[in-house]
Amino acid sequence: MDLLAHLEAYVATADETSFSRAADRLGIAQPLLSRRVKTLEEHFGGLLFDRSRRQITTTELGVLLLPYARDVLDRAQRLRQAAGADGRTRTRTVGVPAHCAPAALARAIRAAAEHGITLGMCELPPLDRDSGLADGSLAYALVRVPAERGAYRVPLGLASAAEPEAADGQRALVLAGARRAVRFEDLRPRRGRGAGSAAVLPVLTLPEDQVPAHEDRLERAAARAGLPPARFRPAGSAAGALAETLAGRALLLCAEPFARQHGARWAPLGDRSLHRGYDVRAAPDRTGSAEVPHWLVPLLASAVGAARGPAAARSGTGAEDAAARLAARG
Amino acid sequence: MSAAQAHRPVHVGDDGALRDVAEAISANWAALGVRGSFLARNLDTGEQLGFDVEELMPLASVAKVPLALVVLDRIAAGDLDPATPVTVDPARSSVGPTGLAAFRHPATVAVGDLLVLMLSVSDNAAADTLLGLVPVAVVDARLRAWGCGEIRLRHRMNHMYECAAGAAGNDFSLALELALRDERTGRHTIETLDPAYANAGSAVALVELLRRVWCDEISVPSATAELRRLMGLQVFTQRLASELRADTLRWSGKTGTFLHLRHEIGVVEAESGDRVAVAALTRADRRAGLAPDVDLAIGAAGREAFEVLRR
Repeated sequence: MDLLAHLEAYVATADETSFSRAADRLGIAQPLLSRRVKTLEEHFGGLLFDRSRRQITTTELGVLLLPYARDVLDRAQRLRQAAGADGRTRTRTVGVPAHCAPAALARAIRAAAEHGITLGMCELPPLDRDSGLADGSLAYALVRVPAERGAYRVPLGLASAAEPEAADGQRALVLAGARRAVRFEDLRPRRGRGAGSAAVLPVLTLPEDQVPAHEDRLERAAARAGLPPARFRPAGSAAGALAETLAGRALLLCAEPFARQHGARWAPLGDRSLHRGYDVRAAPDRTGSAEVPHWLVPLLASAVGAARGPAAARSGTGAEDAAARLAARG
Repeated sequence: MSAAQAHRPVHVGDDGALRDVAEAISANWAALGVRGSFLARNLDTGEQLGFDVEELMPLASVAKVPLALVVLDRIAAGDLDPATPVTVDPARSSVGPTGLAAFRHPATVAVGDLLVLMLSVSDNAAADTLLGLVPVAVVDARLRAWGCGEIRLRHRMNHMYECAAGAAGNDFSLALELALRDERTGRHTIETLDPAYANAGSAVALVELLRRVWCDEISVPSATAELRRLMGLQVFTQRLASELRADTLRWSGKTGTFLHLRHEIGVVEAESGDRVAVAALTRADRRAGLAPDVDLAIGAAGREAFEVLRR
């Protein structure tokens, strides 16, 4: 028995709840499909589908086995990909951050074609890009590194509502004069005039910035600026976070193109050590070397909107600490 | 960014309304990443509210209050003359940002004025000079003889600096990281953060001490009166005093700050006659030397408690 073909028949029938539609989907004749399902039922010793009514339904056994069947098919699919990847026409997958500029990615794909390489772009969170390089599922990736160490830097900033409502104009204070850089201490709640009516807006972080080393830095910078850790929270989805931001109910930590593209105001963080740092890296090949084609690097960097060159050295990490700070005070 | 630890404070309150205020305060603190204990008691009605009031905490500079009481007791007994001049050489005295500890040249100060410096500006050098006259063990024995509950004095003020610098080599940020990490593991690299080895106490023991000082039920009235006067001279107002500043109110307090610890104890007395003793002992899960919102939350708690406890 060709187990894979039989499992395909079973999964397609379960998905389509119809033998004829499942047969169409697989491009085989319906009697063949029915026979495969029946063979599988004999093999497992139980019915997978209840055929007594006009609309077929999946039996308890059919429901129970379905996830396992899908898993086997997925793995077989990956096995075929891995086998195919060794051929000359393999697609090399590039791990890129979410919200890259599609036109820039297209330039990278075209440039690769001119070099006889087929590239596929795959948006992934930062940790998945690291692990993708390690396990070989990615050929190249833009990986996150500390801003001052990366070959490329993307300024991270705060997006806010474009036109603050006059009625609650206090919110505008948060990013007043957005042309200049934002400092975290600016985000402390205001006391005195108008205090109380001013909303203290949460700061949302995108999955692209959910990297332990970066989060650690961000938390420390926020604490030093006098902000409670609860001011920052991970955004569920980028679209939801942006909606909250545009509605004037949150601030979003993001790169400038993402904010501008959706009509939000944006100002960079003054502390450049908090910006996003990127390197372009390749998965090591059989010889252990990991070369990124020189023509690919700037194209990928431009897709994330990166500027060449590392940020200035980290500022204000406490070299000024005097002995007296360690003593009991007040 | 970091998940708040699942800690459920045990609230006390003499009726539902008081308990509600205690719960609101602990919720407000938790939202800022602050844990600790709080107790406020009306010195005349005995009504009180708070939470986790028996938790032992390193006292930091709050320990200067029981120290001052013991020194004043010795003065009242005639064992010590407040006019005795003492020379303090900064090169050999304790580290600290204020008072004699911040001096660069030797100074001669009378014993009574060392008390002023210790309680008004939290002078570590003044405190340790006094501990040179009345040793730590004597202070501790006196407190136990008085029955001051869990309040313990075990070391000089400079021992806090020595332990922190010993663990972190004069790097404040590193010492703070160690302190926060150790709170999670419960094993203290910096010994003076371990209540078992530090100058320690609980909110309930401190409020009881304040009650006895304000009601003349400890030491002798001349000593307690002087302690009340000295606590009224404190210059720091960022914490419990912040929301109790008015010509019709009088705040007498002592703050304590060390790494992630932010404490204050004291008594607010209103023109109307209401007297409420407050102890707020906190640790913050935050890598910051200054946390004005935490100080303000402590101040807000003191005011809430005072307003609901006054008659």
